[in-house]
Amino acid sequence: MKILKGRVIVSGGRLQGEALVSRMPISFLGGVDPATGVIIEKGHDLNGKCVKDKILCFPHGHGSTVGSYVMYALAKNGLAPRAILNEKADPVVVVGAVLAEIPMMDKIKIEEIRTGDILEIDCEEGIVKILESKPCI
Amino acid sequence: MYLTREEERILDGEYGWACQVCMRILVKLGELYGATRLIPISSAHISGISYKTIGDAAVNFLNAIIEKGAKTRVFSTLNPSSIDPCLVDRLSKGLVEKQREILKLYEMMGAKLSLSCTPYYEYAPPKNSNLAWAESSAVVYANSILGAWTNREGAPSALASAIIGKTPNYGVHQSENRKPSILIDVQFQPKDEVEYGALGYYVGRIAEDKIPFLRGLKNPSLDELKQLGAALASSGMVSMFHYGKEQRLTDKLEVVTVEGEEIKAVMDELSPSKFTPDMIFIGCPHCSLKEIEMLANLVQGKKLKDNIEFWVCVSRYVKNKGEKFIEIIKDSGAKVLTDTCAVVTWTDKLGIKKIMTNSVKAAHYLPTMNKAEVILASMRECVKIAYE
Repeated sequence: MKILKGRVIVSGGRLQGEALVSRMPISFLGGVDPATGVIIEKGHDLNGKCVKDKILCFPHGHGSTVGSYVMYALAKNGLAPRAILNEKADPVVVVGAVLAEIPMMDKIKIEEIRTGDILEIDCEEGIVKILESKPCI
Repeated sequence: MYLTREEERILDGEYGWACQVCMRILVKLGELYGATRLIPISSAHISGISYKTIGDAAVNFLNAIIEKGAKTRVFSTLNPSSIDPCLVDRLSKGLVEKQREILKLYEMMGAKLSLSCTPYYEYAPPKNSNLAWAESSAVVYANSILGAWTNREGAPSALASAIIGKTPNYGVHQSENRKPSILIDVQFQPKDEVEYGALGYYVGRIAEDKIPFLRGLKNPSLDELKQLGAALASSGMVSMFHYGKEQRLTDKLEVVTVEGEEIKAVMDELSPSKFTPDMIFIGCPHCSLKEIEMLANLVQGKKLKDNIEFWVCVSRYVKNKGEKFIEIIKDSGAKVLTDTCAVVTWTDKLGIKKIMTNSVKAAHYLPTMNKAEVILASMRECVKIAYE
């Protein structure tokens, strides 16, 4: 079992979930549909994937600061990710995680995580455990 | 980060959820960027007003905090919306109603419906005062020209600061972070406001997050510097620039030379082809009184050609102050719009596909936000095309 350490940005206790991992930054405004939770940005490596209940892992956010409000709308619509893991926190995602009350950590080596991995995260201590790793294909 | 007892109470929710969530935004951003405390601000300028840019997601949030009693604690101005009275009949009822709902929400919160990207014409913030302004062009103008201090806030953080009346003291709120960190040696003389914009655009790209000192500008006007700063903020992440001669500030800095060639390349990139425009757009950022006067002098006694719209976008404040110039401009057949601009309204829904503008910032945003082709030309050239 692999253990990663990070920094807690928005605390949220211990939780488990399935990882959805992007190698690309995410712009929530225009990039994620708040009505469906699906990533709609053209050319994005998660295009067509739904973020609902996933532990969403991506390097950092980018784009308009209105993206924070999109994260709030996702939460209100019951479509928010269960947690967010970033390499580097940026203001759009930090503010969005505060508004939407999504547990969030940064300084995580997300290249160690693959989509489909089952993670247990401790969003008080800043610890990510990869419980089940998806085999390399 | 140090918090006063009252700030801690707000954070703990004793003043209700609206204040609590706003305080959490400020504290999280402060922690992220190494602030040591919150400092009072003399004003907030809030972006995220146009329904076109914020959509329903933001409306939900605004409704939620207003329901919980959110009120602005400091003088708070608003960025442009997506409608002007003269556009109301040309846009769908649904869009107009959504926009009106948003304006009502901000008004209920106590913000002033200034609806302009140039709040500084109406309210020039005191020198060295701390602000929490969103709208990158206004941030650059405030820091670089007015000598007030503000980070580049986003829509939610400016709103949170308006409601709390404070901002975390990181970034350019610290004097050591306001020093120039790259020297731009300008080896050509921009011939008009468009070239000042192109210079800003080029510098924004190479400076990245460094604060540029521009050496070699010869007596630029405030309006030319406004164009430079707006473009700088469109292509880069900086929140201010320096200009002038002060050699002592620029010792030991990395030096980048800019010549006419670089500016021509920017112009070719943003304005790749020649065409006859459907629309001419002046007023990004919103026009100053001086610009309105210049334009009135250029169009006086002339008649706008058929098949072309001429938009002049200003704040309500400048429109009232420059009434006699506004009348001349209107008499010539141009439209004077307040509360909005060509970028934040739906020009594509109005059937406008080709836009000529003197704003490099607008030229940066119009192709993606409005699906329009852009041609850059100075105000003087725009008038020639549209009137002669």
